[in-house]
Amino acid sequence: MKKLLSILLVALLLIGTLSGCSSKKELKIGFNTQLTGPDSYIGQAAKIALEERVEEINKAGGIGGYTLKLITYDSRSEITDAVAAAKRLLEQDKVHAMIGPEWTGAAVPIAQIANDSKIPVIATTASNVSVTVDDNGNVYPYMFRTCFIDPYQGYALADYAYVDMGLRKVASLTDISAAYSVGIQKYFKDHFEELGGEVVAEEGYQANDQEFRAQLSKIDQTDAEAILVPTPTYRDIALIAKQGAALNMGVIYLGVDGWVAEELLEMAGPELEGSILTSGVSSDQPQFAEFNKVFEEKHGIKPNVYAYYALDALEMIVYGANESLKAHNEITAQGIRDAIENMKDVQLFTSKMTMEPDTHNPHNKPALIIEIKDSNWHQLKMFEPES
Amino acid sequence: MTLFLQQLVSGISIGSVYALLAVGYALVYSVFSFTNWAFDAFMVVGAFGAFYAITDFKLPIPLALLFAILFTMLVSVFVERMAYRPLRIREAPRLFMMISAMGANMSIINIINLQFGGHFRNFPQITGETLSVGGIKIGMMDVFAAVFSFITLILLWIFLYRTKMGLGIRASALDLLTSGIMGINNDMVAIIIFGISGILSGVAGVFYGIKYAVFPYLGLVTIKAMIASIIGGLGSLPGAVVGSLLLGILETLVSGYISSEWRDLFTFSLLIIVLLFMPNGLFGKSTKEKL
Repeated sequence: MKKLLSILLVALLLIGTLSGCSSKKELKIGFNTQLTGPDSYIGQAAKIALEERVEEINKAGGIGGYTLKLITYDSRSEITDAVAAAKRLLEQDKVHAMIGPEWTGAAVPIAQIANDSKIPVIATTASNVSVTVDDNGNVYPYMFRTCFIDPYQGYALADYAYVDMGLRKVASLTDISAAYSVGIQKYFKDHFEELGGEVVAEEGYQANDQEFRAQLSKIDQTDAEAILVPTPTYRDIALIAKQGAALNMGVIYLGVDGWVAEELLEMAGPELEGSILTSGVSSDQPQFAEFNKVFEEKHGIKPNVYAYYALDALEMIVYGANESLKAHNEITAQGIRDAIENMKDVQLFTSKMTMEPDTHNPHNKPALIIEIKDSNWHQLKMFEPES
Repeated sequence: MTLFLQQLVSGISIGSVYALLAVGYALVYSVFSFTNWAFDAFMVVGAFGAFYAITDFKLPIPLALLFAILFTMLVSVFVERMAYRPLRIREAPRLFMMISAMGANMSIINIINLQFGGHFRNFPQITGETLSVGGIKIGMMDVFAAVFSFITLILLWIFLYRTKMGLGIRASALDLLTSGIMGINNDMVAIIIFGISGILSGVAGVFYGIKYAVFPYLGLVTIKAMIASIIGGLGSLPGAVVGSLLLGILETLVSGYISSEWRDLFTFSLLIIVLLFMPNGLFGKSTKEKL
C-alpha cells in the first residue's frame, strides 16, 4: 500500500515536468521590476499596465498564432535580486525577451547576462551610457533601452539653467550610491562650467536617506541660486525640498526624470514652486489623459511614466515578434533582437521610435523641460540635440 | 558658529527620535536578550495607523495619535504571542527567535506594501511652522517630537522605578529564570514589555511619518537606533538615550563639517571603537556567568 502511494506521488510529480511540453505556441516576455522595496511605486502600476495590454493582445488573437505570456519577477529595489531575476528569466524560463530593469545600477550587470544568453533585454528607464555600450565603445548586442541617456539629460539641464534661466551659481546634492545620479551630476557640471557657470558646492547622500538638513545647512552658507538634485526617486527630492523650506533657504531645485511621480507634487508641490526638471515623458501630457483616467478608475492607482515606458518596451517586443514572423516564420529571440536593432519610426505607446544600431539608444528622443508651478507640471519646451 | 548650532539642533532632533526606538529596543533586549527585528514593522504600523485614522476615519489629530499608539501596542503584543512566545517556552536559542522576528518584520511590511502601495504619503495639516531663534531654524514639529519623546521616557522611568510592576520587570531584566522562580509571571512580563515597546515604536513611527513621509520602508531607521542602543550599552535605558543623542549629533556634525558621504563610515567606526574599548557600551554592566 505504501509502495503504491509513493509510486502515485512520484507519478504526480512527474506530470508537473510535462508542463513544458505544451503544443500551443507561446511568446514569453519577462518583466524584471521593482514590486516591493523602497521604490516599489515604480513597478506596481507598470505590472498592471503590462498585464492589461498582454490580455488585450491575446483576446485579439495573439501574434501569428502565438499567445503572449508575461512572467514577472520582483527585483525588490535590490541589484542582486534584479540580477537573480534576470538570470531566472533568461536562463531558466528562457523568455523571448525581457523588459527591465528600470535602473542603471542593475542594468549594467544584466547587459552581460543578456549577451551570454542571447536574448534581447530592454531596460526601460536606465539612462547611464554604460548600460548599452561598454567601456571600449562597443555596443552590447542584446541590450536596448527606451529612454534617453544621462549625458544628454545633464547637458540639456545645464544648458537650460545657464542660457534660459540665467543661473550662474549652482550647488549639487547627489545620491552617491546611484550611478544614474553621479553620472548626471558630472555631465551637468562639465557643461555648466564650460558655459561659464560655477558649481559652488557638491554634497552627497546615500540612497534611502531621509535626513538632509546637514547638507542643506552647509549649502545655505554658500551663495547658490539653485540646487541640482539628480535623484532617481521622487522620495529624495520631496524630503530635500521640504527640509530646505524648513530652513528658509529660498532656492529653486533642478531635477531630472527620476523626479517624475504624481506623488511628488502632493508631497512637496509648494516647496518646489519654480523648480525645473528634464524628462522624457510626463504623465501630464494631454495624450495620456484618457489612458490615465481609465486606468485609475479601473485599478485604483495612478499610472506613471514607468508604466508608459514599460508599455513602450512591450510594443517594441510586439514589433520585433511580428518582424521575426515575417522574416523567419517563427518568433525567436534572435529575430526579435534583429528587428529592434533596426527599427525606424515605429509607433510605440508614448511616441515613435528609431533605434540607433551602434549604441542601442533611441535616436534623438526629445527631452521635455518641465517647470513646477502651482503644484502642477508645466511643459516649457522641448530640447533636441544638434545632430 | 550659527552653522554649528544649526547642525547641533538638527542632531538633537534626530537623536530624540532615535532615543524612543533605542529605549524600546533596549527594553526588550534587557529582559529577553534578543534583538526585536520586528521593531521596524511596528514603527510602520504606527505611522500608517495614524495616517489612515486621520484621512479615512476622519479622527481629530490627538485621537488619531492615540489610536495609532494603541493599535501598534496590540500588534506588538500579537507578534509576541504568535512569533516569540512559542519559541520562548520551548527555550529555543536566541538565534531562532531573531529569525522569527525577521520573518514577522518582513511579513508585516510586505503586507502593508501590497495593501497600501509603496508611495510616499504626507500627513495632512500637522506640520507646523519653523521658529527662528537667533538665525537658527527650529521646526515646531521637531520641538514637539523631542518634548513628547522625553515625556514618554520619563513616564517609562516612573513606571519602571516607582511601581510594583516596574520592579517585577527590572527583576526579570536582571534574570528572567530566577524571577520566574520568585513568582513573577514571565508571560505577563512579556506582554507588558512588548506593549511598552509597541507604544514607543508607535510614537516614533508617527513622529517619523510626520517629519518625513509615511511609506512602508520608513522603519529602516531602526538600525540606527540599534547602533545607538549598543553604543549606550545594551540593556541600559539611560544608555540608550545618551547613545541616541550622541549618534544623532555626531552624524549631523560629520555630514556638515566633513562630508555627507563619510557619515555612515563614522557611525559604524564609532560603534567599532566603542565596542573595542568598552565592550558593554558606555553604560552597560558586564555580566558574567558565576556558576
